[in-house]
Amino acid sequence: MKRNLIWTLWAAGVAAVALFPHLFGVYYANALILFAVWALFAVSLNLLLGFTGLLSFGHAMYFGTGAYGAALALNHIKGLSIVPAVIIGMIAAVILALLIAPLVVRVSGTAFAMLHLAFAQLLYVLALKLRSITGGEDGISIYPRPDLNIFGLLRIEMNDQNFFYFAVIVIAAALSFLWFFTKTPFGQIMVGMRDNSKRIGYLGFKVTYTKAVVYAVSGGFAGLAGAIYALLQSLISTNDAYSMVVSVYPIMMVMLGGVLSYFGPIVGAAFFALIDEWIGSGQFQQLLLKLLSLLLPSSLAQRVSDFFQFEMILGLILVLVTLYWPLGLAGFIALQRMRWQMRRVSGGPQRSAT
Amino acid sequence: MEAYIAQGMHGLAYGMVLFLVASGLTLVLGMMGVLNMAHVNFFMLSAYLGYQVVAWTGSFWLALLIAPLLTAGAGILMERFLLKKVHAFGPMAELILTMGVAFIISDGVKAVWGTQNLPLSPPGSLSVLVNIAGVQYPAYRLFLIGLAVAILLLMALVLYKTRLGMIVRAAVADAGMVDALGINVPLVFMTVFGAGTWMAGVAGVAIAPILTVSPGLAAQMGMDAFIVIIVGGFGSLGGAFLVAILCGLLSAFGVQFLPQYASVLLFVFMAVVLAIKPEGLFGEKES
Amino acid sequence: MNILETRSLSHNFDGLRVLTDVNLNVLQGEKHAIIGPNGAGKTTLFNIITGTYTPSQGKIFFKDKDITGLGPCNIQRRGMGRSFQITSTFDRLNAFQNIRLAVLSNRKIRFNFLRFVDKMTDVSLETIDILKRLNLFDDRHFPAGVLSYGKHRCLEIGMALATNPDLVMLDEPAAGMSAEETHTAVELIQRLTEGKTMVIIEHDMDVVFKLADRITVLHHGTILATGTPEEIKANEQVQAAYLGRLEE
Repeated sequence: MKRNLIWTLWAAGVAAVALFPHLFGVYYANALILFAVWALFAVSLNLLLGFTGLLSFGHAMYFGTGAYGAALALNHIKGLSIVPAVIIGMIAAVILALLIAPLVVRVSGTAFAMLHLAFAQLLYVLALKLRSITGGEDGISIYPRPDLNIFGLLRIEMNDQNFFYFAVIVIAAALSFLWFFTKTPFGQIMVGMRDNSKRIGYLGFKVTYTKAVVYAVSGGFAGLAGAIYALLQSLISTNDAYSMVVSVYPIMMVMLGGVLSYFGPIVGAAFFALIDEWIGSGQFQQLLLKLLSLLLPSSLAQRVSDFFQFEMILGLILVLVTLYWPLGLAGFIALQRMRWQMRRVSGGPQRSAT
Repeated sequence: MEAYIAQGMHGLAYGMVLFLVASGLTLVLGMMGVLNMAHVNFFMLSAYLGYQVVAWTGSFWLALLIAPLLTAGAGILMERFLLKKVHAFGPMAELILTMGVAFIISDGVKAVWGTQNLPLSPPGSLSVLVNIAGVQYPAYRLFLIGLAVAILLLMALVLYKTRLGMIVRAAVADAGMVDALGINVPLVFMTVFGAGTWMAGVAGVAIAPILTVSPGLAAQMGMDAFIVIIVGGFGSLGGAFLVAILCGLLSAFGVQFLPQYASVLLFVFMAVVLAIKPEGLFGEKES
Repeated sequence: MNILETRSLSHNFDGLRVLTDVNLNVLQGEKHAIIGPNGAGKTTLFNIITGTYTPSQGKIFFKDKDITGLGPCNIQRRGMGRSFQITSTFDRLNAFQNIRLAVLSNRKIRFNFLRFVDKMTDVSLETIDILKRLNLFDDRHFPAGVLSYGKHRCLEIGMALATNPDLVMLDEPAAGMSAEETHTAVELIQRLTEGKTMVIIEHDMDVVFKLADRITVLHHGTILATGTPEEIKANEQVQAAYLGRLEE
């Protein structure tokens, strides 16, 4: 019975995704891809933050490198198909992760976060300076979007609709892989490292190597998210790839959705995509202005509503979430469930005073 | 030769200001274990407040007095009402929270003062050139170096000659110690946090005449300050001082010889140091 | 035959001498206790042997191989497991997962990304078996951080033993336990280390005399005496050291 229900839900989900571009059109199809990109980016960050206990303030490095890797490959290799382009982006990110890993695996906590801030900024500055390669602030375009070409046997043109299916399938596969990754023995060691990396060492696991592997996987999938992002936008610029806010996006998604859960960040990405859409389309500003006009004279209302630009809201959300919702939605749900269970079990183990 | 001396002085002046910013950051980090991502945003906020005070009163000196105090007040409010509340959730939460505050300040500044560069001219008595060993040098930069040295001496005096300083040093060396000392920890933390933001505030107003006031100020100073505390070693004032001066000189001469890559030089310097000593030059190994 | 041997081991912390010329011998198969007043350097000695610090001077041999300067991870892989005086578990993982990590380590399953860990039946069965022997089976779903103190300590010791080491080093296993909990813990240790080599640091003399075949007394960073419990009881120097401490 339960099995049937799950299969039905699966089928319904797949059908909904398959029909999505037909029902809602290109604009919302692209919005859904963007959400999927953010979800993958957030999950890749959470592999470090939630599962290994390492906060990266510079994950834009990998996102951006994936994006530029794919874009540069497409611009310099004639007739490159979409799959190798995406793979090249991903590999570029993995290589960068492996280069940086020796410098960061020996530290954790604040030092780890700081080093990432610094390296990400270095990449940002470099990308701005190396204008001839990266196009600097103007960026480089990917036009037309490459075809999907499987050994010349099958050629699928990547129009908006086909690209939608391609992106959704690739990202769903990546998310499934990462979910599986957290369930392997290695995933257990990773989580153990988050709780107590000292003991992991004393149990005979190499902390530095383990960190390096998680790091490379996390970087690689952030790169994959970046590559899909570049293909979606058909353009990648230094600001979209490497700037500080790009590193903060996934942190915010993870915080919103819940740091200790695998699926939390995906929900967080959905929140983020909605907020982004809401602000980007100007609806938020209009609503705010209307509300404020009720209370304040119109010129003042205008000024106050101007105050709430995108980064301001980003900052406010970060502050409020850390203050009042530190474990995100997933943590909130888990807490409610635990309370419910505690009531049922009545009691449970009590820690005696030490 | 004269050009070198002038560049050297430029570098020294920038290095001193950098140290003013970085020392507050590293003290708070060493003592409270909190890396305040918004620290350089307070620095920028102070520059804007300074600009506003000058716009209203026309007095640079008043700006140098008031703006840093207002900034320190903002810093204390943040420590008291935000940071303290998330302390229990661990360093990650604190980092993310201060990052949020950083965004709020930088966007708030843009909303109030706009995105254009605002000039803040040095007081008339200091906008002259003085002759040092045959080199014409702006008096204001000399004043800047003097101001930084004065604050540095004041800080050294407080740190090494007062009870508060003793507590702070003990706490930086061993965070667990403070609880054992039977002192009012929240008050000490608040004082240190306030003093740190005050120094950043002084630096902000003081450097504004040289760099002009703009929303990019935080990013410009921010990276350098973070590199200083990473390379110098977390919580090490001596390390921060040395590296700040080195950074100042490196960027000044970098501009002279490698104008394209001056900003990259510091990062290369950082990467080299970290590759050899991951805990920074004067940092202690994580146990 | 010696399984563990330290040769003229000395250690300084920032110029402060903590250990001086320590020559410790642990025989294959014996239960060896290290006792001594607070600050005698017992835990430092443990930390040096298990790789936390590299000694300032001297050498450590484990199974006749020089292990001086190897990290905790490499020393563990050579067959030395340890527990900590201050409980050091994976607090957000449940008891089952805690023990399972030790079992994975014992089976050298480290970089395996290809299977669901939950579907590794043999690993799960071994973990359950160990949990039962630790009397933790009923608590297996609770996160380690919420276990009662006694059970948390059991888990701590259990993790050291679950890696099936040739030599197990227990740092004050009964620290902070009530008399009743201590009794259970001693039984547990006796049962689980049967036929194994063990080095134990302990304050509680009852525990020491119950568990140990041989005792080493550490005082001010040097070895005062080594011998059977009877010899140690009769040793005048040891009595002086302990009595001297009482007089202070």
